[in-house]
Amino acid sequence: MARNKFDVDENLESPFDIKHFRRAMVYIKRQKKPMLIAFALSALSAAIGLSAPLIMQHVVDVTIPAKAYEPLVGWSALMLLTIVVSVVLATIRSRIMTKVGQDIISEIRIDLFKHLQQLPFKYYDDRPQGKILIRIVNYVNAVSDVLSNGIINFILEIVNLIFIAAFMFAVDVRLSFVTLAGLPVFLGVMLLIKTRQRRAWQAVSNKSSNLNAYTQESISGIGVTQMFSREQRNEGIFTRLAANYRFEWMKAMRFNALIPFSVDNLSTIVTALIYLVGLLALGPADITFGVILAMSSYAARFWQPILNLSNLYNSFINAVAYLERIFETLDEPVTIRDNPGAKALPPIQGQVTFDNVTFGYDSGLNILENLSFDVKPGESIALVGPTGAGKTTVVNLISRFYDVSGGSIRIDGHDISQVTLKSLRSQMGIMLQDSFIFSGTILDNIRYGKLDATEEEIIAAAKTVRADDFIREFEQGYLTEVNERGSKLSQGQRQLISFARTLLADPRILILDEATSSIDAKTERLLQEGLNELLKGRTSFIIAHRLSTVKNCDRIMYVSNKGIAEAGSHDELLARKGFYHRLYTAQKMEA
Amino acid sequence: MFEIKWLWQNLQGNRTRYILALCLSVIGSSLTIANPYLGQRIIDTFIAGDDARQNLIDQRGLLIALCLGMIGFSLLRTGLAYLTTMQYERSSQNTLYNVRIYLYNKIQGQDMEYYDHNRTGDLMTKMTGDLEMVRHSMAWIIKTIIESLTIFVAALIYFFSIDAVLTLWLLILAPPVFVVAFLFAKRVRPMYIDLRERLSQLNSTTQENIAANRVIKAFAREEFEIEKFTAKNANFSKANKTAALVWLDYFPYLETFAQAFNVILMIAGGYLVIKGRITFGEYAAFSSLIWAVSNPMRNIGIIINDIQRFFASLAKIVEIYYAKPGIVNEHRAVEKRRYDGNIRFDHVSFKYDGTTVLHDVSFSVQAGETIAIMGSTGSGKTTIVNLIPRFYDVSEGRVLIDGVDVRELELDELRGNIGIATQDVLLFSDTIDGNIAYGDPELPEEETVRYAELAAAHDFIRKMPDGYDTIVGERGVGLSGGQKQRIALARAMAVRRPILILDDTTSAVDLETETHIQQSLRSLDHDCTKIIIAQRVSTTAKADRILILDNGRIIEEGTHAELLAKRGYYYDVFMLQNEGLGRQVAVSG
Repeated sequence: MARNKFDVDENLESPFDIKHFRRAMVYIKRQKKPMLIAFALSALSAAIGLSAPLIMQHVVDVTIPAKAYEPLVGWSALMLLTIVVSVVLATIRSRIMTKVGQDIISEIRIDLFKHLQQLPFKYYDDRPQGKILIRIVNYVNAVSDVLSNGIINFILEIVNLIFIAAFMFAVDVRLSFVTLAGLPVFLGVMLLIKTRQRRAWQAVSNKSSNLNAYTQESISGIGVTQMFSREQRNEGIFTRLAANYRFEWMKAMRFNALIPFSVDNLSTIVTALIYLVGLLALGPADITFGVILAMSSYAARFWQPILNLSNLYNSFINAVAYLERIFETLDEPVTIRDNPGAKALPPIQGQVTFDNVTFGYDSGLNILENLSFDVKPGESIALVGPTGAGKTTVVNLISRFYDVSGGSIRIDGHDISQVTLKSLRSQMGIMLQDSFIFSGTILDNIRYGKLDATEEEIIAAAKTVRADDFIREFEQGYLTEVNERGSKLSQGQRQLISFARTLLADPRILILDEATSSIDAKTERLLQEGLNELLKGRTSFIIAHRLSTVKNCDRIMYVSNKGIAEAGSHDELLARKGFYHRLYTAQKMEA
Repeated sequence: MFEIKWLWQNLQGNRTRYILALCLSVIGSSLTIANPYLGQRIIDTFIAGDDARQNLIDQRGLLIALCLGMIGFSLLRTGLAYLTTMQYERSSQNTLYNVRIYLYNKIQGQDMEYYDHNRTGDLMTKMTGDLEMVRHSMAWIIKTIIESLTIFVAALIYFFSIDAVLTLWLLILAPPVFVVAFLFAKRVRPMYIDLRERLSQLNSTTQENIAANRVIKAFAREEFEIEKFTAKNANFSKANKTAALVWLDYFPYLETFAQAFNVILMIAGGYLVIKGRITFGEYAAFSSLIWAVSNPMRNIGIIINDIQRFFASLAKIVEIYYAKPGIVNEHRAVEKRRYDGNIRFDHVSFKYDGTTVLHDVSFSVQAGETIAIMGSTGSGKTTIVNLIPRFYDVSEGRVLIDGVDVRELELDELRGNIGIATQDVLLFSDTIDGNIAYGDPELPEEETVRYAELAAAHDFIRKMPDGYDTIVGERGVGLSGGQKQRIALARAMAVRRPILILDDTTSAVDLETETHIQQSLRSLDHDCTKIIIAQRVSTTAKADRILILDNGRIIEEGTHAELLAKRGYYYDVFMLQNEGLGRQVAVSG
């Protein structure tokens, strides 16, 4: 079991390649039109911006020496105009790109979330929740700018670079090569640190993921921690994780800061070389001062876009570390999905057939082997047996939370692997061992079972499970705000609320997995009365250890040894004096 | 200003380093201005000047020296910049590290009431995005402010030294820039507070969705969840856009003003040159450094934007940073005493959110006794046991251990004397061994196994692929309810505390296993008072005394036999659970 722990880094299988950006391009392409407009605006604004130095040049060379006041005012006004126009264009571009950037990450995030909804239990079982959370929220946020403005600026800077290079070559080829001589050195530096830099950022994302996982787990587990006074020890673990993060961050920064360092120096060296080569090696005989002057200014201008590009590169590398994680999650296989050609399951009558079913969570370790049984519509089945024998597995298979490894399960004769998941699960009411309460009102929590339920229906469901009384005792009644962890509700009350939720869904097949374990015997008795009425005509599977819950079921199956050891009614099984009898008499009390 | 004071306070231990970074910033930025000077000299002396040709022949050495000087200067400046960046990063990372750990401890130190009212997603936002803003403020915002300011001031001084009038003309633009910046700051602040809130909602919704993945699948509610998420995502996205668009309302003015420095220079400078007040060379000097005035002005907007974001985040961090839990654990216990384990509830009442949960509850338990508590759902059973380790404090009355009010005991010591297994079993994403040894990480492995055996967990653990080294998912999702309960039970027993509280810990365990557990509990090799909450008569029967709770009051108290004889609540439950068997009892009795 490759289950992930908070302090275990997640290894990436795929090496980096441009494919991550190509995949990101799918999202970017959807924004093609606004991005093209933005690009055009940027180019226009940049071009207009270029006229400013020309105006300045003209003013210095012509207007001022001519002592012409009026043209001076005129040129100044023109310059102001170019500024205003280019700023307005730039503003429009930014407005467009703000929307584009937000839309891109919005779509990535929704795709990611949708995909996660399809992933099986195992995915969630195998890793800390905090590691999933940080991908959906923080990582996606982190790539927003790179995928929108980053791309446009990248193209702009390259265009810019080409233009300057062209100008440069037009002026003097020899000195242009001097300027370009810095490039191989720069690329060498980049190549040298590229892999390390990428690894460093991966490590940062790994460490921040670990840190988050532990933070989240500490928050959910706070009760246990305080109970065992483990705060100081946890602080130690947290400190270690925080230190790891800091260490990796500093390491990544060491590479990051290297880039402006090398670009700046190369740019200076190249400029100095132009002076030296131009003035000393070639000399005034060969080259005019004007050319040298122009070349030295081009050299500086040539390296500016390179500096910008390498800053962009830095953010790309950083973003890739996040993109990899995002796409890795999107690539996570959906193991339980609608099979091709799956049809909607017609309204369930309630016949459930297990035909030679074999299943194991881990291959080679079967929990169930060749299990066969048939349940008639409306029958109520109790599953009993030692913990871990596979009772929950049986009901999980009916809802197709897992796929069988051998045999088949049929409902009303339809193989459940050949019907759509939604049509299957929406007709089943499953009450799990963990009764999850969403933050929101009690009303909303019950309504989760049937989203369009009226208040009356909700209250009726609550009454059936005997939850109405305690709900009304709250000052706000059904509108009381509860939350995932809050202690406003006792465990038993939580179970009753999720019970009401399940009933409200009006399921054709009802599955109760230790649904009443925390409910006291008296309430359970009352609940049972309401339930008996409701269960009529519905097939039900009940897992319970309390035999008073089990006794009234039509058939009791004793699950053990990878199959069903005994089955029959309460009286039949007692008469058989087998497993069930032993289980039952264990409850025998001395009065 | 509070925010600065707060940062300063948290810089403790890194103040020297940070101030060093600030000083380096000032030096480095000044160098940026000084650097072009060498290039200018080369041009003046060897290219543009009147004696250029002659100089080129006479002063080759100077040219080479100047070029080398340029490179050396650049190396010095960038080397310094590298060093500066690393100092900023190091000190901001250190501060982040300290604040993070401080917050973590704050979060750990909050009482249960805090957790009842704060969502995990919101706390996670504080620990991620908000903390990131703290780092950003130190590594970028303050750095940029200092560097912009240095360049601006240095350039101004230089300008003033050349010509005061032209400099003053340029400064005309400063007031409008500041006014616009101020207006922007005022308007954008609430936007970032709002944005921050929506981020927190997005986090909470997502976090809950992940935690609830089983329920969602069970109800086939994926589409509903996607809708819910899409709404929150759109909200967040919208808030992001709104804030950015507000910035874009002010950006054109700031940017135009910043670039207008060139225009002012041109018109005013040109005028002054024509007038003969300044020379061409002086004009050129202004022109070559005008960026040093306009860039900082341009940065003001971005700086203000980020400052407002930082403020919004800090406001959230401060909530937890200064939060004072009602029940404070000072972790002061140097030597933890071992209690005898006498527990007394003395007229205890407990109110929660306006509802009275316990009414005047009194009972006492002698050291070594076993007490069972039974009662209807929501009758206050868990509340009673929550009051002993002070997860909550009583509203009235007292809870005493060995005769001392629990509120007067050192919390670490108190909790260090209690072992609890709760209803809602929470395991950690760790190995089974690590989970059992959670309360006592030094526990030797044989002991782990022994307690697992006592809790009837050894058999199923042994059968798992990696045995005790199997990693169980968060909340123990890979295990069945009964298995989780048994691990939690082993965890509670393994700490060998004088008070052991079991809150319905065997509800999902089958009867045979439970019998085994009952036996283990009776034969524990350390003296211990046990409080057992249970719904099953089979669990409570052997207790020294049984308390029946109803609506926050004790309605029955006595031994199994006494309570049966009473024919009250307990008798009813007994009959309910022994129907069929009840008859046998009647016959044999």
